[in-house]
Amino acid sequence: MTAWLIASGIGVLTATGTWLLLRARTFDVPLGLTLLSYAVNLFIVAMGRVGPGVPAIVRAGVPPSLAHYADPLPQALALTAIVISFAMTALLLALALKARFVNDSDLCDAPVDDASPAQDVDPAPGRVGSFAR
Amino acid sequence: MTPDHLIVAPILLPLLVGALMLVVERYRPDVQGAIAIAATVALCAVAIALLQRAAGDEIGVYLLGNWPAPFGIALVADRLSALMVAMAAGVALAALVHAQSRWARCGPHFHAFFQFQLAGLNGAFLTADLFNLFVFFELLLIASYALLLHAAGGRALRSGFHYVVVNLAGSSLFLIAASLFYALAGTLNLADLAVKVAAAPAADAGLLRAAGLMLLVVFALKAAVLPLGFWLPDTYGAAPAPVAALFALMTKVGVYAILRTTTLVFGPDAGPVAGLGGPVLYALGVGTIVLGALGALAAPRLKGIVAFLVVVSAGTLVAAVADGTAQTLAGALYYLVHSTLAAALLFLLVEAIARQRGATGDRLWSAAPVAQPALLGLMFLGAAAAIAGLPPLPGFIGKLGILAATVDAPHAAWLWTALLGSGLVAMIALARAGSRIFWKVRQPQPDPAAVRVGGGELAAIAGLAGAVVALAVFAAPAQQYAMATAAQLLAPRGYIERVLGAPPVTRRAAVAVAGEGAR
Amino acid sequence: MLHALVLLPFAIAAAVALLPNTARNATAWLAGLTALAGCALLGVAAPAVFAGDVLRASVPWFAGVAFGFRMDGLAFTFALIVCAIGALVVLYARYYLAAEDPPARFFAYLLAFMGAMLGVVLADNLVLLAVFWELTSITSFLLIGFWRYRADARAGARMALAVTGGGGLCLVAGVLLVGHIVGSYDLDRVLAAGPAIRAHSLYAPALVLVLLGAFTKSAQWPFHFWLPNAMAAPTPVSAYLHSATMVKCGVFLLARLWPALGGSDLWFYVVGGTGLVTLAFGAYVAIFQQDLKGLLAYSTISHLGLITLLFGLDTPLAVVAGVFHVLNHAAFKASLFMAAGIVDHETGSRDMRQLNGLWSAMPITATLAMVASGAMAGVPLVNGFLSKEMFFTEALAVDAHRAVEIVVPVVAMVAAAFGVAYSVRFVHDVFFNGQPVGLSRTPHEPPRWMRIPVEVLVVVCLAVGIFPAVTVGPLLAVAAASALHGPLPEYSLALWHGVNLPLAMSVIATVAGTGFYFLLQKALDLHTVPRLPLDGKRVFDAIMAGAQALAERVVRMLPHGSLPRSMAWIVAVAIAAAAWPIAETGFGGASVAQTPGGPDAGVGLIGWIIWSLGIAAALAATLRYRQRLTALVFVGAAGLMVSLAFVLLAAPDLALTQLLVEVVTVVLMMLVLHFLPQTAPPELQGWRKICDAGIALAAGVGIALIVQAVLARPADPISPYYLEHALPAGGGTNVVNVVIVDFRGFDTLGEIAVLGIAALIVHALLAGFRVPASFRPDTPVPGWNPLLVKVVARTLLPLAAMVAVYLLLRGHNLPGGGFIAGLVLASAMILIRVAGGSALPPATRFVHPVAIGAGVLVAGVTGLGSAALGYPFLTSAFGHPVLPVVGEVPLASAALFDLGVFLTVVGATMLTLLSPGVLAAAPAAVARTEGA
Repeated sequence: MTAWLIASGIGVLTATGTWLLLRARTFDVPLGLTLLSYAVNLFIVAMGRVGPGVPAIVRAGVPPSLAHYADPLPQALALTAIVISFAMTALLLALALKARFVNDSDLCDAPVDDASPAQDVDPAPGRVGSFAR
Repeated sequence: MTPDHLIVAPILLPLLVGALMLVVERYRPDVQGAIAIAATVALCAVAIALLQRAAGDEIGVYLLGNWPAPFGIALVADRLSALMVAMAAGVALAALVHAQSRWARCGPHFHAFFQFQLAGLNGAFLTADLFNLFVFFELLLIASYALLLHAAGGRALRSGFHYVVVNLAGSSLFLIAASLFYALAGTLNLADLAVKVAAAPAADAGLLRAAGLMLLVVFALKAAVLPLGFWLPDTYGAAPAPVAALFALMTKVGVYAILRTTTLVFGPDAGPVAGLGGPVLYALGVGTIVLGALGALAAPRLKGIVAFLVVVSAGTLVAAVADGTAQTLAGALYYLVHSTLAAALLFLLVEAIARQRGATGDRLWSAAPVAQPALLGLMFLGAAAAIAGLPPLPGFIGKLGILAATVDAPHAAWLWTALLGSGLVAMIALARAGSRIFWKVRQPQPDPAAVRVGGGELAAIAGLAGAVVALAVFAAPAQQYAMATAAQLLAPRGYIERVLGAPPVTRRAAVAVAGEGAR
Repeated sequence: MLHALVLLPFAIAAAVALLPNTARNATAWLAGLTALAGCALLGVAAPAVFAGDVLRASVPWFAGVAFGFRMDGLAFTFALIVCAIGALVVLYARYYLAAEDPPARFFAYLLAFMGAMLGVVLADNLVLLAVFWELTSITSFLLIGFWRYRADARAGARMALAVTGGGGLCLVAGVLLVGHIVGSYDLDRVLAAGPAIRAHSLYAPALVLVLLGAFTKSAQWPFHFWLPNAMAAPTPVSAYLHSATMVKCGVFLLARLWPALGGSDLWFYVVGGTGLVTLAFGAYVAIFQQDLKGLLAYSTISHLGLITLLFGLDTPLAVVAGVFHVLNHAAFKASLFMAAGIVDHETGSRDMRQLNGLWSAMPITATLAMVASGAMAGVPLVNGFLSKEMFFTEALAVDAHRAVEIVVPVVAMVAAAFGVAYSVRFVHDVFFNGQPVGLSRTPHEPPRWMRIPVEVLVVVCLAVGIFPAVTVGPLLAVAAASALHGPLPEYSLALWHGVNLPLAMSVIATVAGTGFYFLLQKALDLHTVPRLPLDGKRVFDAIMAGAQALAERVVRMLPHGSLPRSMAWIVAVAIAAAAWPIAETGFGGASVAQTPGGPDAGVGLIGWIIWSLGIAAALAATLRYRQRLTALVFVGAAGLMVSLAFVLLAAPDLALTQLLVEVVTVVLMMLVLHFLPQTAPPELQGWRKICDAGIALAAGVGIALIVQAVLARPADPISPYYLEHALPAGGGTNVVNVVIVDFRGFDTLGEIAVLGIAALIVHALLAGFRVPASFRPDTPVPGWNPLLVKVVARTLLPLAAMVAVYLLLRGHNLPGGGFIAGLVLASAMILIRVAGGSALPPATRFVHPVAIGAGVLVAGVTGLGSAALGYPFLTSAFGHPVLPVVGEVPLASAALFDLGVFLTVVGATMLTLLSPGVLAAAPAAVARTEGA
């Protein structure tokens, strides 16, 4: 039953995340990615199997085997994954925010228009402190 | 035995220098450039040392944290890794020198980001651990986002968002695939994975192959293999010149990962996952060549043409890797170095040209003539000939190697047609671009506001051009190295045994004082 | 010496390119002397070559390909043509180029071409030949486009490059196949392997590919059209490249490879057929040209067809005749082009409708032109006659199907008649036939030196035409011998072979041709004939435009630029990649979950509740996604459930981290959402939602099945090692933390770098960025500062700080660690600021990028410590030193590493959250000022 709970949970999170990921607006995409990262993190931990449900904090007298502790490695991996996906989400949100004002739209399915010089990279040497307007 | 720190240096040096940059930036912003260049030169030196060592068919292993493989993270410097690191260092030095002229000053943290990018690249090339590879992918990606958005306008913001999301999806897939491998094989070390996977029960075949294919999809995404590579043209089109030059390396990371996994983990004697994805990759590679060539033909801007030609070279490499014989791999490796250098050179040139054509930039309309027609025209002619694979430049030699190696290969006709056809298309597209930019000028005099090529920029361009020429002149030794590398890749036993057999440093009395627990 | 011969022109070309364009004479002298030096070198080589041996010089280049050269009679002959005519052309060009034409560029290109051409004829292996072959294409592209401001020059240059360059690629492919068959690209071995090649299954494709190269280069029908369009080049270029040398590459290749590839029916019919068609077609079309150079161009096409046909006839004698005609054509056609150039130069026009009756103006040039056209027409006493006679002889000697035996001679004679016709027109129309019409300047003889080259060539034509045996005899002998790669057949070079059928054919052709021309002039004034309907250029342009349009359509179909569409592709491909093998072999393994700790350990009712709440939240977020704030809240709820799930899965560190990250993420999203539309507009295309739903469903079901299948399997991972060594070797009981900071500390180092960079980007993007004052958020900043929150927050901060330090210290043994601690502290401080009200000071007041750098440095340097002790990077050491009062404290180098993590996390998180926070302040401030 546990297996089924986990599996279906991950499945639903994946499906909903993916669907949001496919929206055309800059805010829905990070939402979708967040849900997707939940699914992925659960997935990683699940790949270590369910185990005895005992945290991997070694106690004297308990033999160090997976029969007595949860698998620590997937948890460590998931930790790294959480941090990285947090970083990416933050970056994405900042991008969405900035893009909304610079391109003055929150759409993300319009191809860049090669004809208009307005969208060119336009460096201003010597300006330190922030990326260009 | 003492650990061979030379192997970890290509990662640590830029990582720590990058962190240092953030401090320096605060207190002595004026010395940033100097430090950055010094560090990158040092990196080149390290890379060359590694290359020389690898050329002696020595596979260097570095056990981080002194934990034995497969429990800790191991770094491996074999011929392929050393080659990639050296190539990255060289291109990076050129890009950095180029950036000194202007780009480095166009936004904050440029040097830090640049060094972090290098750390990510080298880490990806050196690590022998699947999850660690993921971490370094993320590092080089986020650094590349930073560089892409560096001093960027709305164009870069939009394509940047696109680029980030696409790669995040890729990362999720990477995590799924990697942890699935762990679930089935119980390990993350590539060498150990190769052993465990080869011995896996038949019942796991389906899931293992699924995991492997998902992994290959991720790598194909990084390598800009269509239908996954749609992010590339816009992204590169929006990147500043030195960044675009550095990005010429990025697709090669994907190619490297495909090459590494298909030879090490999915090799012929890998049991249930033997020869995974070969035919598919071949087909995708050829398709990528075709679509890339069409893209180059349709591109309205010079930078677009170059970007699509990068896609073409990625397709060429993937198809060749998928073919997988020693000769083909050797040809592919030689072509890989060439296409990286040539693309980087062209990206630098394109910007120099665009800056001298006023508002028209690199669009293929007739406009004011460039201010330095002799220099830029000649350079462009050479670089274009190189990337189009015209003789006597290395592009031709590389393609020749791949073609000659695949005469008898199944479905060779497809690859041959695609390769030669794409060469013709590239020639036509670049000739059109060249004649419109350099010949079909709207006014006799150049734009007075035209920015002439700066000293650093010229040095970088000349350096890359020199490297391309050298690759053609010294084709024989280069091909020998490539051949030996291919042989080493096709005999993964050596790699596996070296990694799994690498002994940790034995405990020494000196450290016992510091801590009785020291290993 | 051979290397010098080939490389000298390139070297001088580079030197010339560096000269200023004002140095007209210097550049010309350099170029001319280079050509003469080439002739001299050939003179040195001559004795050996005429003695019949083959000069070789070779240095290795790359796998299977040497940078080597090989000079036999054939190579010598062609090299002689290249150098000799090269010298004359340089002299001619010196006076032809106008003051505004940059001579340095011109001569540099010309010399580069000369070098490439010499490379083609002297290369000792097929690959090197192909290399120089493409180089001639490139240099010809540059020379045709020399007058870059002329549209026709640019178009002609690109067309020539596309056709000849494309042919070159075919040649490369063909060469590769030949090399594959023979096992070497070396010319000697290839020439010796003729039977083996013809017997091989790849013979046909190899031959066709090589021929494609030859035919495109030698402007054979249907690839001929680039040549007339290349006439936009300066006339010296036309004389040199497009009549004497480059276009001869193709026929040279036929001669060169005849021993290897010739001697089969395929060769006979393809080569001979193409030559025959081209011969007749070119000759016929030439008659109706109005442009002087156009006429010569089509005449060149026709003569190249003749030569091709001769090689196609596939008999030794025909090969001799072919080589002979190559020599003759080079001489008379180059002189004709130069004459045409003189006319153009002195009258300002090349249009035969304007050029009439120039005899009175330039009698000498006219005489020269007449002799040369005599050679072109093949009248006695001039060299063209001899090779034409040989050609007729061979045409009559064809031994094939009856029809062929009739067709070949007949077509040959008709084409010869056409040849006479256009030759007559060339003379009659330009130098006689009335008076000039509307010329820009009054014609007169050219400068003395400009005519010299023409005179030299005409003298050659006459000398060869009258005393063939003594003049050209030996040269032809060695050339033909090496072309045949075997014994020479019996042939006699003489003006008079007595009355025979070939002579009769010549007479008929001459008479008929002349008559035909004047008939045409009478019947339909040739000046009024429009351009031919079927023009190769139009076809080519149509093909190019078609390709362009196709490419653009395809690229438009690609989803590049559209994120959702390329994402859909990626997800779909990923699903396919996972589904395919599973569909093949199934999941395998057992179906019931067998977990070591007994089934459903610790998961009961609570599990169900968390599960249903989580799923409900996720679904709600999706269904309500257009109400963004609502959706955000639901996503947060889902995250909460996930962290609870981690508790159940015995992952306390994970649960804590997830929870904290959750909080921070949601705060960040709210801050950002404040600047974005609060509601998403309805989807435009409903179908899109549907197929997206399909993709999403497939992904969800797929991954669920995978998890199901995996959980049903026993596991045998490496992780017991960690449980075993965490305490004794890692000095910590919390294995997860030991893995993070020790076993896999390298991952963590990279991870904090990623986090730091992300924060820096956010900061760099938003710091100093000002929201336009015109901006009005859809809603005010969501209710942030109720008193309660403020109070709670204030009391929370010190508490949080303590908790953080505690978590940091104990992390190694109990859930916690640098990352969690850092998040706790950071989020608490954020909460304070947020609670403090809208007016947030800039991020850097609290934290600076330096903190991030410092954190990474601390972690990194900690790792380096071990390297100093002779251990690998990140090797940890720990001990339990006993301090006075405090007593024993656990002290692991890993803890120091964790401190670095802590620093980075605090810095990064605050930087990330405060950057948009600053923006949040902006509109409020605006509102206040307006209120006042």
